Parts: sequence; C-alpha cells; structure tokens
Amino acid sequence: MSDRPLIRFEQVSKTYPNGTVALSDVGFAVEAGTIHAICGENGAGKSTLMKILSGLEAPTSGGLAIDGLPVRIDNPRAAAALGIGMVHQHFSLIGGLSVTENILLGQEPRHGPFVDRAKARARVLDLASRYSLDVDPDATLSTLSVAAQQKVEILKALSRDTRILILDEPTAVLSPPETEELFRRLVALREQGLTILFISHKLKEVRELAQRVTTMRAGRVSGDAAMSDVSDDAIARLVMGEATTSTIVRPEPQSGTPRIAVCGLTLRARDANDRLDAIHLDIRPGEILGIAGVDGSGQRGLVKVLAGSRRPDAGTISWDGEPVVGERTGALRRRGLAHLPADRFRDGGSRRLTLTENALAGAHRGYRFGPLLRPRAMVERTRAIIDTFGVRCPGPLAPLGALSGGNAQKIIAAREFGTNPRFLIADQPTRGIDVAAANFIQDQIVALARSGCAVLLLSADLDELLRLSTRVSVLYAGRLVATFPNSPDLTPARLGPYMLGLEVAA
Amino acid sequence: MIDLLGLVPAILRVSTPLILAGLGVHVSSRAGVLNIGIEGMMLAGALAGVVVSALTQNVWLGLAAALVSGAVLAAMLSGAIHLLRADLILSGIALNMAAIAGTTLGLFALTGDKGISGSLPSLVLPSLTIPLIENIPILGPILSGHNILTYAALLAVPLVALLVTRTPLGLAMRAVGENPEAAAATGIPVLRVQVTALLISGLFAGAAGAFLSMGYVSWFSQNMTAGRGFIALAADVMGFGYAWGTLAAALLLGATEAITLSLQGFGVPSELLQAIPYLVPVLAMVIHARRRKLHEDD
Amino acid sequence: MIRNALAEAALTVAVVIAVVALVLVPLALTQPDPMGVVTTFLFGPFRNLRYLGNIVELATPSMFCGLAVALILRAGMFNLGVEGAFFLGGLGTVAAALLLPLPAPLLAPAALLVGAVVGSSVCVVPGVLRARYGASELVSSLMLNFAALFIGLYVLNVLLRDPAAGAMVSFKIPADAKLPKLIEGNRIHLGTLLALLACGLGAVYLFRTAGGFESRIVGANPNFAGHLGLAVRNIGLRAQVIGGLIAALGGGIEMLGLYQRFSWQALPGNGWTGVTVAILARDHPALVIPAALFLGWMQVGGDLVARNFDVPNEAVGLMQALLLVTVTAAALTRNPKLLRAFGARTGASA
Repeated sequence: MSDRPLIRFEQVSKTYPNGTVALSDVGFAVEAGTIHAICGENGAGKSTLMKILSGLEAPTSGGLAIDGLPVRIDNPRAAAALGIGMVHQHFSLIGGLSVTENILLGQEPRHGPFVDRAKARARVLDLASRYSLDVDPDATLSTLSVAAQQKVEILKALSRDTRILILDEPTAVLSPPETEELFRRLVALREQGLTILFISHKLKEVRELAQRVTTMRAGRVSGDAAMSDVSDDAIARLVMGEATTSTIVRPEPQSGTPRIAVCGLTLRARDANDRLDAIHLDIRPGEILGIAGVDGSGQRGLVKVLAGSRRPDAGTISWDGEPVVGERTGALRRRGLAHLPADRFRDGGSRRLTLTENALAGAHRGYRFGPLLRPRAMVERTRAIIDTFGVRCPGPLAPLGALSGGNAQKIIAAREFGTNPRFLIADQPTRGIDVAAANFIQDQIVALARSGCAVLLLSADLDELLRLSTRVSVLYAGRLVATFPNSPDLTPARLGPYMLGLEVAA
Repeated sequence: MIDLLGLVPAILRVSTPLILAGLGVHVSSRAGVLNIGIEGMMLAGALAGVVVSALTQNVWLGLAAALVSGAVLAAMLSGAIHLLRADLILSGIALNMAAIAGTTLGLFALTGDKGISGSLPSLVLPSLTIPLIENIPILGPILSGHNILTYAALLAVPLVALLVTRTPLGLAMRAVGENPEAAAATGIPVLRVQVTALLISGLFAGAAGAFLSMGYVSWFSQNMTAGRGFIALAADVMGFGYAWGTLAAALLLGATEAITLSLQGFGVPSELLQAIPYLVPVLAMVIHARRRKLHEDD
Repeated sequence: MIRNALAEAALTVAVVIAVVALVLVPLALTQPDPMGVVTTFLFGPFRNLRYLGNIVELATPSMFCGLAVALILRAGMFNLGVEGAFFLGGLGTVAAALLLPLPAPLLAPAALLVGAVVGSSVCVVPGVLRARYGASELVSSLMLNFAALFIGLYVLNVLLRDPAAGAMVSFKIPADAKLPKLIEGNRIHLGTLLALLACGLGAVYLFRTAGGFESRIVGANPNFAGHLGLAVRNIGLRAQVIGGLIAALGGGIEMLGLYQRFSWQALPGNGWTGVTVAILARDHPALVIPAALFLGWMQVGGDLVARNFDVPNEAVGLMQALLLVTVTAAALTRNPKLLRAFGARTGASA
C-alpha cells in the first residue's frame, strides 16, 4: 500500500437533523487505479458515504482528502471538478432527451446561441470509443434498454475528466450477460488508470472485480482488507455481524395445511426490487415466515403481488386452497389481508388525518349508525388503542403528523392488526423506531400468529427475523434460494452466503 | 358555397392569438410550469397595447407595452408560486381574476367607460403586403396582406422549436420539466430556468393580447380574450409537446372558429358552432389519453 | 393542538384583513373622501335590512359553488367545471320549469332536479375522462365550461326565447315554479335556507359518513387509499359528480329564487367565486357559510362604494384574486415564525 492513496476518508460522521446517525467515524483509504468494493446491508451507510463523496451531502464531522489534499465537496459540480463521477442506482437521466444531450447536459459545446450538435456528437463518440462503451448518440433515452441507459449514465459520469468513478449497485438492473459486459468495461477502465468505487452486496461480483474491500455495518467500518487476504465467509460475517443472544420466539404452525400457497410466482419489471423468478412458498396459519434478503432482492415485488396491487406475470396464489390471483387489494382485505407497509407515511397513513381516522380507516364501516359514522365510538376505540399500545400523543384527534415514527407505526399497526387478519404482511415493521415501540410491535405480531394468523415478515434486521420467525427463507435476485427452520444455530453468518449470492440451497 | 380558399386569411387571422398564446404555454410547460394564467396575461397585454399606443401615438411602443405587461404578470405568477409557495393552479386562476378586474378598473380609470375603449385613439398594427407575391393569382391573397403579428406568430414557431430543441436553455428547460432533481444534480439552476420560461410565456401572452386589441379589432373591450387562453392550453396539450404540434392544433382550432363565423350566414346555429372549438380539444385529449393507457397496460 | 388550530385560523384571518386593507386603502386614497370610501365599504352593508339582504342573496349561490368546489378538492380532484355546471343548471331548471306540465308544488322540485342532472354533466364528463383514461380533468373542465355556455345559449335561442321580449331572454318563469320569499320586503328566498342546509349536509357527508371519509382519504393520500383497498378512481369520480350536482342545483335555485327570466348571456362567474369561498373555508363545508357571507359582504360593500363614489366594484375582484393566492401561500399560512407569533406551539409531541 502506498502512502499517498487517492481518496482518504477521515473519521467521517453524519447525523441527520431528525437524529438518525448514518455514519460514525468512518475512515479508510482507496488506492489509485484500483477497483475498491464497499459492501454492506442497506442502512449500513454506504449510500450516505457515497453521497458525501459526490457532493450531494455534507458530513457532520470528519473530512475527505483527495490526492493527499483535504477537500470540501459542497455540490455535484465541485465533485465533478475534482474528477469524481457517480453512476446512480436510479439513473439521473432525462428520458425525453437524446443520449448526447443527456451525457453533456450542463456542459454542451456551443455555436453562437445554439448547441453545437456536431461537436457534441463527436465528443460523445470520442468518449464512447475511449471507454469502449458504445452508444447511439442520437437515440432518445427512453427508448433504450436499461443496460444501454446504464452505459449512458456511465458515460455521463465519465464525461468530465473523471478519475474516480463511483458505481452504486450497478448490476441490480442487469441480466447476467450484461453484467459480464459491464465487468469487462470496468476492468478496462481500471487499466486506463481510473479508480473505481464499487458498491455491492453481491459477493461473487465483488470477488471477481475488486482488489480491496471495505465492509460497513450500522454506519461504521467493520472491515477493510485486500481481497486476497480475506475469504468470502469472512466478508459475509463482517457484513452481517454476529448473532445477538436474544431468545427465539418461534410461534408454532397450527395446522399442516398452508393458508397461503404461492407457486411459480413470476414478475417481470425494470426495477430489480420488483422482479420475481418462479417463487414457491407457503405459509401455515400460526407461523411466521421470515424473508431475509438484501434490499433490492425482490421483496417489493413479492409484497406488491401478495397485497394485490400488482398482477404477477405467471404463477398462482391461493388462500386456504382458493386461487386468488387477479384479486386486488380490496378483495384480499375482505378475505382477511392485513399489511404493515414499509413506507409508513407514504402508504400506511396520512399525516393530515387524525389518529382516529388513521386508526379506523378501512374498518370505519363497522362504526355506523344507519348511514352515519359514530364519532364517539370511534374516538373511544382510538383511546383504547392509545392505551393498549402506549402511544405517546396529544390525543385521539391529533393529526398523525404530530407523532414520532414509532408512535405512528403503533397506530398503523393497531389498525392493521385490529381487523383480526388471517394473513399479515409485515414489511420492515420496526424500521427506524425506538426499541420499546419495536418490541411492542414484535410482541403484537407474535400474538397474532399465536391466534392463528399466517404472517409473512420481511425485515432488513436479521436479529428481528431470527428472533421471531418459525422458518426463514432467503430471497436473492428475485429467487427464493434457501429455506431453513429457525433454530439457535441459524445465525446471520449462516444466512450471509445465501443473502449475498454465494450459495444456493440444493 | 363556402369559399375555402377565401377562408385561409380568416383562419390565419383567428389563429394568430392562439398560436402566440399556445407557444407561450408550450415554453413554460416544457419547464414543468403549467401556466393557467395565460388568459389573464393576454388580457393585460391587450389593454396595455391599446392604452400606450393611444397615449404615445406609436404603435410599436404599444406592442412593447403589451409584451412587457405580459412579462410583468408572469413575474408576479412566479413570485406567487416560487416565493409565496402558493398553489400553481390556484395562482393562475387568481391571476386571471385579477386581470379581469384590473383591466376593467384600468380601462375605467382612463376612459370612464368599463365596457370598451372606443374613446381612446389607439392604433392598429399594420398588415404587410409582400411585393411581387401579392400579385400571384390565387396564392397572393393567401400569402400576403396579413397582420405583422400573424407573420411573427408563424415565424415564431420554428424559432421556439429551435429554442427548445437546440439551445442550452431549451435543453435545461426540458430537463427541469421532466426531472428537476436530476437537472439540479447536473448543476442546472432549476429556479432560474423556470422563471425564464414563465417570463417568455408572458411575453408571448402579451403579444397575443396585443394582436386581439390592435389587429383583430382596434379596441379593448371587457374580458375580450373570451377563453382563448384556455384554448391555447388545450392546443398545447394537443400538440404532444412539439412547437409544430401546437401550431397545428392552434390552426385547427382557429379553423373551426373561422368556419363557424362563415357558416353563420347559412342558418347553422351560431352558438352550436361556437361550442365546437371547445369540444375538439376534449375529444383530442380523450384519444390521446386512451392511446397512452393502452400502451401503459403492458 | 387546539392552540395550533386556533393559531392557524387567526393567521388566516390576519392575512385576509391585510389583503382587504392592501386593496381598499390605496383605492380610497384616490378619492377626495377616503374615510368615506372605507366606512362605506366596511360598514355600509350593515346600514339597513335591504343591504343585509343583498349580502345574503349574493352569498347563496356562492355557498352552493363553494360547497361543490370544497367537496371536489377534498377528494384531490381539480375539476373547475363548477362554473359551467352552475350556468347549465340554471338553464336546465328554467327549461324544465317552462316545459314540464306539472302542478305547483311539484314543478319547482322537478325543475331543480332536471337542472341539477343536466348541469352536472359539465363536471361529470371530465370526471369520467379522468377515471377511465387518466385525462386531466383540469383542462377538459375548463373547455367544457365554454362548450356548456354556447350549447346552452343555443337551447335558449331555439327553445326558450321569448320573441316578445326585446333581448335574448327566456319566457317568464312560471310563478308556480318560483321559490317563495322568506322575509317581507326582501328578496331573500327559500334558496338561502336550502344553501345552509346543503352546507350542513355537506359537512355531515364529509365528516360523518363512510363515503365522505373515504373521499377525504383519497384526497389526503391516494397511496394510502390504495393500500386500504379503496376504489380510488371511482371515489374521485363520485366527488366530481356530487360537486357538479350541487353547483348545478345552485344555478337552478338562483334562477327560481331571484330571476324573472333566464338572462345570462355569458358565464356568470359564480364558479370562480366558489373557488375563492372554498379556499377561504379551507375546504370545510361548514366554513363555506361564513366564507360566502364574508365575500358577499365584500361584494355589497364594493357595490355601495361604486354607487356613491367613483370607484368601480372590480376592486372586489382584485381582493378575491389576492385572497386566493395568499390564503394558499404556504410560505405565509404555514410559516412557523408567523404561526408562533399567533400563539402556536411548535414541535411534535412524544
């Protein structure tokens, strides 16, 4: 290791105004002319760190040094001036513009008042040949395939005398042959002297591409080594962390016949997080099936299909033996569906409506006297919920927006659980909420299972999954790659290789 | 018998304010700002043109005043939505309300008459006769002899198309209109681009108004825009985002109005004909939306 | 929490006062007797019963249109066809009153019903286009307002026009269809009571029925509504249908209550006043009543000033426009510093 690395992070910390600690004392170095991988689960802080490097965010403390000189990167333009280009996971391209216009947006060559189209085209072709990324300079962006668009995004990042290229989960949107092609390009770029920071949770790819890997966990650096010095298992353990010794709850299934049976479920989509590939699973009444998987493995697609907001492209879903494919959310709710959504303020409630309205929405038709609602009964019920769930709030008529995340989630959970559901989808139920509220909600989920509900639990928190689940299935790239009965020897380290794509259960 | 060829001058005349206002809507829509207030900006331009040309007895100062007043109102709309963070649509509605009230007030203050500016010696924008071309049989009267703003409107279409597709500002506008975050990440000043687009929109609206009161007729009357600004909104929707499309839509709608006027002598009820320019856009919107929906359901 | 709501209300009232002053004072200063202008504007409408009656007469159609807009906005729709619905409702009602061979007690209700259904089409068509094809109800409703105007004028000309009368007006509305007056010596008619009733029912619908609740959920957060399994598109459509019916009913009631003949030659503008009323009322049906009365007060004040001084009543139009912008200006009405000045407590609890 030379003593003048190209990039050095020095005790970078980032705390958001709402109190969330995204990064804590992150420090490591990146050598020039290498491909340096950054691995971690979602929430580990890798995206935040890259946002700081590319000028989209500022650190709360700590600093960066490029080429030995301390720098402050205040905005994307400053990053570009330092030679830093970023290829975002969700492309920052404009569909209505051409490839050339996108690549040179903001730095077009001029000819009088006009854009010099010929010059622009020539520049793009030159860039394309220099980096061996062929694109059609005149095509309208929205007509291109995702892999082609990614090439455009990469060229855009390379267009400003770039020497540091950051790629955030680039293969999430690519097919295997496209991934191979991308890797060839990246290796070629490295050979031309570029330094590449490669964020990924796919260990196979990291092993193939990178010379060095830094693992992050919960906002801190958990490991930093040359690829040749560390095994895949070791990396997996550094990413996943060690198991905590919380008692496993593991409700028992109450019947052998599954309540929910899914067969061959396939969903085609542009976004990898929506893609499903021939999923088979079943959930019995009384059991909690935990889905482990790094973010973007298809959880969103699974939830959308099971909750009735999207039709699958193939496969069957049945409830207690009855096929339900094609039924939308309303019909499924009538069958007994409950859904605790991952994005609680976008889908789970409305900040503008009161706690009572949020808590009883969907069940409101049960609180009627003739055509009219019974407000007093509804408020009473909400007061009972506030009591039972220990919601800290100004009162049942306060707007949901006045509550903290944890307390809002309690209201949302109370609503969803209160319908005596037969199938509950709990999607990141305790993300971002305080420990007491989290424990309470977890207890409620288990209680529901014990009363005969079939529960699908999706969580990025492996400790939570391993504490509550009856069985754990691992989702990777849209496929269910393994299913294990939960037991004390099922640890994050054991799940790691499956979650990171290294292994597939036979 | 309807003299179709003879209708062309009428069609061009009726379409001119629609083309100008339509281009104004087109530009601001590209940048993502739906300018509902275009109606009010036209009205203000119409009054300003009449007043200033009467006071200065200079028709070009009148036209300039019309352009400026359109831009001033556009600046006020920008202030409402960017500074005060008021709702875009409601601010546009408010601007229209204010323009109707304000122009009537202004007219009254200057002439003591709320209805019409007859007492003001306002001027009329000249028509252009092109030598040589005017002598071509049949085509002559079609190509020559139109109001200068009509020629300006037709010329403006390729210019606006060039602006939007070939200049850095136009590219910036389209980027901002489609994905403001991505545009900002490239360093484009989103706010400045949107304000510029609105100001251009106001200029065009002012010109459209000037044509109404200084070309189409030679006076200002209360609320004389009569919904043409809204028709311009529809023309932009029908234009699918192309300046030439907006032109085509404006010409179509102008043609329906012109044919309406000429059919009035033939016992076809005039009111029903007058409804047609407002029904055609709705039909076009349905066709467009249906097609888009069929494509989406994949 | 109540403190915050009161602070918001107080801030809104302060903004309203500021706007009125902003328009009134400069206008008054252009006159030789500025104090006279201001006092006539503000207090003139209360000087005698007739002027008070005028406030109520003007407020009545505003209540209907304001209620319609409020219900539509609460469902998250931006349908501006209320203007055309009001016009066409008036025309349809007069046509039905003239054409239906019904005895006295039945004629008015039947005519109003016909008018409401016919007039609501101006809101329903854009609503259907939105629900089925996703086409913007904003632009289509703006267009249909004018289409309704011209088609209506055609019907007026062909079916209802009284050749004996000088202008293009309809035959006299049969006395059997007229709405009874409420107070002697005044023009206040039954329609006012109906308007109050409608606002009350609107409040009950929105806040005390399942349908209204679902409507509010769709308007507050359509994603949430979808998550619950609500039929989002149909609920949006329903709100526009109801809004259209109410606005059209308002037009019919205005005709049967105040007019001798149908005489509107242009869109009467009540729809736009309704938008202002709804915004002032924060889309709350019960608050539509004081908001409409307030605007009526402003309008009568403006008329009095116009009659006694040389100031045209368009000033009220300017006020309305400014109110529309300022009351929705988040920078003003949701400004934390201003809210705190009015006594709000900031910060979420718990």
